[in-house]
Amino acid sequence: MHIPDGYLSPSTCITLGVAMAPVWAVAAKRVKTALKSRIVPLMAIGAAFSFIIMMYNIPIPDGTTAHAVGGGLLAIVLGPWASLICITIALAIQALLFGDGGIWTFTVNCFNMAFLLPFTAYWTYRLIAANSEPISPRRWIGAAVGGYLGINVAALATAIELGIQPLLFHAPNGSALYCPYPLSLAVPAMMLAHISIAGPLEGVVTGMVVRYFQSHDASILDSHFLFAAPAESGFGFGRYRKLLWGLGVLAALSPLGLLAKGTAWGEWSAEEVGKLVGYVPAGLAQLTDSWSHTLFPDYSLSGTEPGFWGAAAVYVLCAAIGVGIILFMTYLLSRFQTVEQER
Amino acid sequence: MVNDQPVPRWLEEKNPVDEAATKRSRRWSTSGFISKTLHDFADLIRDEVFSEYTANNVGLLQRLDPRVKVLTLLLLVGTAGLLHHIFPLIFFNLWIMGLAKLSRVPMDMLIKRVWSVVFMFTGIVVFPALFNVVQPGDPLVVLYRFQHSISLGIWTLPAEIAITRQGVTTALLLMLRVGASVSLAALLTLTTRWHTLLKALGVLRISTVFLAVLEMTYRYIFLLLQTSSEMFMARRSRMVGHANTREKRGFVTSAMGQLWTKTHAMGEEVHDAMLSRGYSGAPRSLAHVQMKLSDWIWLMMVFVVAVLFVGGDRVFG
Repeated sequence: MHIPDGYLSPSTCITLGVAMAPVWAVAAKRVKTALKSRIVPLMAIGAAFSFIIMMYNIPIPDGTTAHAVGGGLLAIVLGPWASLICITIALAIQALLFGDGGIWTFTVNCFNMAFLLPFTAYWTYRLIAANSEPISPRRWIGAAVGGYLGINVAALATAIELGIQPLLFHAPNGSALYCPYPLSLAVPAMMLAHISIAGPLEGVVTGMVVRYFQSHDASILDSHFLFAAPAESGFGFGRYRKLLWGLGVLAALSPLGLLAKGTAWGEWSAEEVGKLVGYVPAGLAQLTDSWSHTLFPDYSLSGTEPGFWGAAAVYVLCAAIGVGIILFMTYLLSRFQTVEQER
Repeated sequence: MVNDQPVPRWLEEKNPVDEAATKRSRRWSTSGFISKTLHDFADLIRDEVFSEYTANNVGLLQRLDPRVKVLTLLLLVGTAGLLHHIFPLIFFNLWIMGLAKLSRVPMDMLIKRVWSVVFMFTGIVVFPALFNVVQPGDPLVVLYRFQHSISLGIWTLPAEIAITRQGVTTALLLMLRVGASVSLAALLTLTTRWHTLLKALGVLRISTVFLAVLEMTYRYIFLLLQTSSEMFMARRSRMVGHANTREKRGFVTSAMGQLWTKTHAMGEEVHDAMLSRGYSGAPRSLAHVQMKLSDWIWLMMVFVVAVLFVGGDRVFG
């Protein structure tokens, strides 16, 4: 489910980064209040645990193996906020150290796997398990359903993020600039795999580990209340009312962007500026006139226009020389480093 | 410090017994999934040891101030995201390869870690996008003609199935962009030691608590890796005959549960140990880094390169 860099536009990554920032801040504050000086060792352990169990190969009925995410499990033993931090760190190490998942798409991966997944799993588990005894079957059933739903919600979000790319970003000739699959393909493809295979696997694994806890050390299933919302604040939504309002407004506004017919903000052409402001700033007019050497105005690489291949060859040649100069400069810098070090 | 033998030979070689177990089709081998997990563990350690090795080489990126390196590589991944045409992306990738060369990162390593993965993974992902079934476009090669287009709910199958110009463009664009981004991330990893990288992340205004957790997590990962390896190895040594999927899954899930019980207890002990050594909850760092002239030059150069590439890209339209 890790989305690598390159599949999503930078703007999508930034948008979800903005959405995640307050969530991370709230999580850090809550966990710090609950754990005090324990936060560093316990979160580190949780993150390492989350990283390692993602590597376990789990046999599936057809004889091959698959990996589970384990986010739901972590949410059940640590509570959703702490598991948000642990999974974020596990994802950061995967991205920085082992190149799994991207650097810019880190925010998106966190939104799906560190936020949506554990929270869905946790609240489903709480809903089913309620106040039952730690050894009650409702616990493992809740865990299994939570694991199943958690991964499916995360998969749906991933599919939507990928699916809106061809809608929003494409070249004038219609070729997609990022992920090419529209919602009508991305959502069914992702969901089919997750509803039928990855979801049940995650559910079975989460449920079975909880059953292991029940038979070996059921107290683990109680400890999460340490990290959960303080009882008096209920679901704890009250204090985040402003944040929720903000997110709600953002969510309501975002589809408007799809409906709006205008150009992206700040990317107006000179005529559009003229229409918007009533006049064309002199500097802009001058710039527009001087910037007329666009090689392929409509990007119609049909090759029928006279002189097309000539122009293309000149462009490639210029680019090659340019890159050659940049490479040479890079080389000079590395030589300069040597001189600098010897000094 | 250049070491001739970065990774011990035995870690690079595959165990013939494991090899046989994985070859004999995972379906029939009882301990196949265990061997596979043990392999994955060994691969992870090998990659990490190799990264530390290349990070200790003397090269362009290794000698940069880590803060500058993190910022500029982040900027360059963003640049790759903004490039919308094939030619600029090809040249961008060439420049990245030049960077790898000047940083003494072996080319076969970049090919193995980046390009083989990009071709295998992204290649398969974008393959269907070549056809006009996914996105309509000007046909290059017509493969099959139906009498009329077929409509199935929200999906429509066009009257002729063709590879389109738009499809080829998208596929190449995506593979080149993913390749560039993954190469840059790999270069960051391969030229920076983990603890230096963490110090550098401070410039991104990431809280020190978060960085302290990251630093400890890194250590724990290898500890838990060892614990897990021992559990899996012990299990494999005791396995005789056939086990069904249910039993195998039972083992893996109880291993997860056991790992949690062990690590949770250890976390408490580590916390006590930290407290008794005077830990107050606020991490301190001894990091001391200073910008050199070459760091400033590199910083400016990357800005210029980013602007040149994005500008060159926009010339295309």
